[in-house]
Amino acid sequence: MPERLRFDDVEEGDELSARSFFLSKDQVRAYARAGGQWSPRFTDDEGARREGLPGMITPGNMSMGILASFLEAWAGPGTLRRLGTTFRGLVLPDRTIRLCAAVTQKDDASRSVELDVWLEGEEAERLVIGTATVALA
Amino acid sequence: MPLALDPAIIGREFDRTVEGPVTADELVAFARALGETRPEYTEAGPALVAHPTYCVRFRGGRFYPEELLKLIDVRSGFDAGKDIQLGAPVRPGDTIEVRSTVHEVYEKTGRTGSMVFVVIRYTLSNQRGEMLAIVDNRFMHR
Repeated sequence: MPERLRFDDVEEGDELSARSFFLSKDQVRAYARAGGQWSPRFTDDEGARREGLPGMITPGNMSMGILASFLEAWAGPGTLRRLGTTFRGLVLPDRTIRLCAAVTQKDDASRSVELDVWLEGEEAERLVIGTATVALA
Repeated sequence: MPLALDPAIIGREFDRTVEGPVTADELVAFARALGETRPEYTEAGPALVAHPTYCVRFRGGRFYPEELLKLIDVRSGFDAGKDIQLGAPVRPGDTIEVRSTVHEVYEKTGRTGSMVFVVIRYTLSNQRGEMLAIVDNRFMHR
């Protein structure tokens, strides 16, 4: 049985350990294929430039998926109940991104927590921001 | 209501599509593309379930209802964000019914001018009638 974070072990204000990693173009293409978003803007620099973009970009859905995995790496698989995101800036691949989150509220009745969650670019600019609800043990 | 839209459009279902069945290979490829390594999401077998954001790939058969397509050029749109409320997990073999409604249409004025936001709500359920997810997809048009 996969381990699930315990509600009593979390406090409001807790910050998750940030995760940084290099997001490659090949990984974005793999997502575009698997996620049914095979389009030049997500797969090909030249095709993306023809659409007025600076180069191929990461699908918003992929950013959301990466953030969901980040939250479940902390709380355990199957714990995410809700995730809401706003795509504020272009997430360009072949760069390092940083995933961050903080607990904003605990709900005793449902043993769930609310979090602020965001994805940063290399200049610490918040390219994707959102909130999430995670159910704990 | 911006765009001289009939308010009756809000909440009205404009598309119902059934997709699938979902295969184990599809679920595994999706999860691995996100860098997942956990067996629940990446190993075929009875315990395999979809990554929680797998549901966002389902968008039904029609992007917007006809009334909106007369007023908005879909190609001018950008994905502005999404809200997902998760229900039962998607499993291999599931067929996915996607019901699409216009949830909200609103206008904002920013530094670069006026923008129209269209929120399409996709309600996903499986062949057992279980709710899989409610996805609010927010599109921005200049």
